[in-house]
Amino acid sequence: MAGDMLIETSIVPAVVFLLPMLAGTIVFSIPGVGRAFQQWLSVLTAAVVTGLGAWMASRILQGLVLTTWNGELRVDALSALMVIIIGGIGLLASLYSVRYLAARMAEDTTLRRMRIFHGLLMWFFGTMLWGCVTNNVIMLYVAIEATTLTSGLLVAFYWDRRALEAGYKYLMLLTIGITFALFGCVLLYAGAAATNKLAGGSALLISDIRNVVPFIPSGTAAITIAFLVIGFGTKAGIAPFHPWLPDAHAEAPTPISVLLSGVMINMALYAMARTVSIFYPAWPQVTVFIVALGTFSMLLGIILALAQDDLKRLLAYSSVSQMGYVLVGIGLGTYLGCYGGLYHLLNHALSKSLLFMCVGAVIYATGVRRIAELGGLRKQMPITSVCFLLGALAIAGFPPLNGFWSKLTVYLALARAGMWWAAVIAILTSILTMVVMLRAVYRVFWGEPRSSGTSALAAREVPALMWVPMVVLAAMCGLLGIWPQGPYPLLDRAAKVLATLGR
Amino acid sequence: MNLEALHTGLIETLSLTLVITSVAAVEMRRLKFSIVAYLCQALLIVGLILSFAAVNRALYWWAATALVTKVILTPWFLFRSIRGVDDHEVKPVIGFGPSAVIAALLMMSFYHLTHGRGALLAPTEMAQLGVFRTNLAVASTVFALGLYAVLTRRDAIKAVIGLCLLENGVHLSLVSLAPGMPETALFGVATEVVVTVFLLLYVVDGVRREFGSTDTFRLRELRW
Repeated sequence: MAGDMLIETSIVPAVVFLLPMLAGTIVFSIPGVGRAFQQWLSVLTAAVVTGLGAWMASRILQGLVLTTWNGELRVDALSALMVIIIGGIGLLASLYSVRYLAARMAEDTTLRRMRIFHGLLMWFFGTMLWGCVTNNVIMLYVAIEATTLTSGLLVAFYWDRRALEAGYKYLMLLTIGITFALFGCVLLYAGAAATNKLAGGSALLISDIRNVVPFIPSGTAAITIAFLVIGFGTKAGIAPFHPWLPDAHAEAPTPISVLLSGVMINMALYAMARTVSIFYPAWPQVTVFIVALGTFSMLLGIILALAQDDLKRLLAYSSVSQMGYVLVGIGLGTYLGCYGGLYHLLNHALSKSLLFMCVGAVIYATGVRRIAELGGLRKQMPITSVCFLLGALAIAGFPPLNGFWSKLTVYLALARAGMWWAAVIAILTSILTMVVMLRAVYRVFWGEPRSSGTSALAAREVPALMWVPMVVLAAMCGLLGIWPQGPYPLLDRAAKVLATLGR
Repeated sequence: MNLEALHTGLIETLSLTLVITSVAAVEMRRLKFSIVAYLCQALLIVGLILSFAAVNRALYWWAATALVTKVILTPWFLFRSIRGVDDHEVKPVIGFGPSAVIAALLMMSFYHLTHGRGALLAPTEMAQLGVFRTNLAVASTVFALGLYAVLTRRDAIKAVIGLCLLENGVHLSLVSLAPGMPETALFGVATEVVVTVFLLLYVVDGVRREFGSTDTFRLRELRW
């Protein structure tokens, strides 16, 4: 597969992650810059990254693979897809944060705290992109741990009791979890080096390790896979390694929740897929284990979501569940499974970001996020309620929205692989998701307005800078629903990278 | 020949002392002494890496990085975090007696595992040598003790020390598992631990101001 691709040396893969790093450094190092400059610098950087991602994708669609620094960085279709998702969601989230943060932090925010927010946001952005373009297995670990470090203080940004607890758990649990991934990456490196079959390739580069994986002793391979799954699975919020996720996603400022839930966990799953999928041809039995883990995650996530009264926690648990779908698809290792998994990864990024933004809008307008204290917001906030409804239907897999097509692909892939039990659990989870989401929509936006919350009565629609990103995402969900073949060229190539088991 | 035996003996003695410092770091009730025990361990690790460097020259870089990050920066951050506060640890979930038994059991089982089935964990040829197997056993024990400390200690600062031990265990194992790793990768791995410790202690400081103590049992507003 890798042999028939033309390799082109290009500086763009380096620029794409160094640019946000530079922007963050500028924000930190120039003390006099105003708030508006920081905000628009974030937006501009994200826009440029998205553009570069699209440019790389167009090159890749011509059959090229872009590399930099002797193969240290390598962008194929899968990496380009991730860069576009990170850039696009990052752009909308930073647009959204302009008004959101200004309102939430109006009284006591000093310029210094805003500088920390935007500087770390840019670094967070840069480290995520770095993880997606690197080809070095140790640097993959370093980049993913760096995303934890750059986002740790963003999770605890409000610095109150709940935010501090969430930040402490986030840093502690993710660091321990990702240490297992370090073990896994080091074993992968050591195992590949010990095969002595690299023929001039490097044991550090994933694209070279691929070729020698069948020669790694099976005992070592089993331990490596287990460590990689635990390590990257913790970061991706796969149950049972998810306890950090609801706390962090719920307590972080909403633009950060959008990035954590819509982008960061996807990116961790990308790392897992990159490293674990290369083992499939020699050890296909691993797929059953991964699929079982994915179904467990989807079921447990949605059951826990059923019990939530806090809107943000509900969405966070739903992320645990949706990550299960992506893992099941990618874990199958077949072309159809990988296509469905990656498609769902894209769709989840769109719809979950949309839902978090809508909840942020509700918090912005009412100051409340408990479902029991909300109700009847449909009249005061028509745009938000329609967007939330669309997002909820998309994530529940209601036809003809985008989530329906990706979930359908995953079901078909499971059925074709003969894993009917997993397909049944996946469909059951989808029904439960519908229940959870529609109940939330009904209680918050329809139903009777609650008299207890005085602020809820005075709620008004959010400013345009907040609703425009929401409408864009909702439109994307609808567009991909009626035009599911749109992202086909890129997804097709990306799925072929991961589909090591063939069709 | 004689020199080689001495070398092996030195490495084994250092390794055993490493385990003792880990137990001390986990078990000391005064955080100050706990940090001192950690500092001793960091020094030992640097010494151990240096003695391995006689076999593998690439490890000199690793030793220098470890000296800066583990011996200087991490203890400095830790000492700064307990300055001016009562440094008696919040009483842990499991006391000294059971802990000592658990530590001994861990050490024995890892020693048995690495010497019996070393090939499983360490696919490199070099790792089949006796000294490297001992190194792996010690690394796994330090790792497990760190994990044990994180899980059973209520005091947040003690948990951070546990995290440092856990990372020390991992880094120690790199000596055997990844001898040819380039400096940039080692530098990245080592730097991140220091940044993690710094950020965690920064958050713990916030916790102390907001909750009045570093008892992690009080962090229970977020459930489910």
